[in-house]
Amino acid sequence: MSRNNELFELDVVHMHTTLTLREMCEHGEVHAEYVIKLVDYGVINPVRDDGNRQWAFDLLALSRLRKAQRLQRDLKLNLPGLAVSLDLLDEVDGLRAEVDRLNRQLRQLMGGD
Amino acid sequence: MDFKDYYAVLGVSESASSEEIKKAYRKLARKFHPDVSKESDAENRFKDIGEAYEVLRDPEKRAEYDQLRKYGAREDGSFEPPPDWESRSPFGAGGYTETDAGQFSDFFESIFGGARGGAGGFGFRQQARQGRGEDVHARLALFLEEAFNGCEKQIQFEVTEVSADGRPVRRRKTLNVKIPAGMAPGQHIRLKGQGSPGFGGGPNGDLFIEVEYAPHPEFTVDGKDVILTVPVAPWEAALGGSITVPTVGSRVSVKVPKGASSGQKLRLKGKGLPGKPPGDQIVVLQVVLPRHLSDKAESLFKELADEEKAFNPRARFHA
Repeated sequence: MSRNNELFELDVVHMHTTLTLREMCEHGEVHAEYVIKLVDYGVINPVRDDGNRQWAFDLLALSRLRKAQRLQRDLKLNLPGLAVSLDLLDEVDGLRAEVDRLNRQLRQLMGGD
Repeated sequence: MDFKDYYAVLGVSESASSEEIKKAYRKLARKFHPDVSKESDAENRFKDIGEAYEVLRDPEKRAEYDQLRKYGAREDGSFEPPPDWESRSPFGAGGYTETDAGQFSDFFESIFGGARGGAGGFGFRQQARQGRGEDVHARLALFLEEAFNGCEKQIQFEVTEVSADGRPVRRRKTLNVKIPAGMAPGQHIRLKGQGSPGFGGGPNGDLFIEVEYAPHPEFTVDGKDVILTVPVAPWEAALGGSITVPTVGSRVSVKVPKGASSGQKLRLKGKGLPGKPPGDQIVVLQVVLPRHLSDKAESLFKELADEEKAFNPRARFHA
């Protein structure tokens, strides 16, 4: 279909989309209480807080919300356990990236590939 | 179709108790959860583990499976259920709400039947007359040069549509997207309304894209900074001077300070990923020697060794 061959030009709107609490619930298919709890536990953080839960979340927060849902559903984690797990997973991801970067630098230093 | 040995998948014996099976499942699920494991086959392993547990945790399904296991495993590992086979504990008969039945294997479906396309499959809200289409989440791999300069990419993904007879069907969709310069790894984008179509006049779902980078042979990326290891000769490091180093897509002249050593970092402001503000390029110096020294070079090094006798690079070991 020609409609599919349309060229989408990404702009500032796509780059800096934020979601309201309501939109987070819609896209995550969860109740507001769940999102509020994740915020309370620091699992996700709004990028803007205008008080009275007038939050704005970035798309990374939605991605974390979905990850939290999967982990909770598949591994039966409670919220404190989930918060610790996600923090540790973030740390592991950071360390993996660092190790990967250092390994590649090391290979270059050793005159490898 | 291959026969699936669910006992082997969970690493338990045929006589394992339900407690042992649960324990093995929990351990493997933690290990191979796709959000936890970075092993390339984690997702498939996790699905297999979930499927094996779905069967072995339920005494009725397990008994049926055991029966088939005796009958079904042919020597070549292939499997066909008996022609008159009908499960007494068919899947999709209700009760199970958490697992996406569409994820299970053909082998599973041939035994217990599938919920593929049925209510609940793909999390599709069939009961509703009107609804928002599903969101689609995709990843987009960019080469560093593409991220640096911006590019046009074709993105392919699957959406779920409602067929004429009201069943959810998967359709491949292609979009051409113009990516601006400076997209960092891990950055997310939303294309509103480009996900699965809504039904009954409901709005379309959105397409969410996460950007990732393909590894580059020379440059590594840290946030908006790009890092490059640059080899220098011992005399360049000792005497300092200008050298030419590549940046992404260009070259710049860099001043090596006098007496530089391996591992020393030089920051080239604004030469990293474009943006406001742009990232930097970090040059890591690496002192290298020629593989073979001429007789003259060797004697010059000997002369240097005599001249610099007082220098002990391992002084701290004797402190």
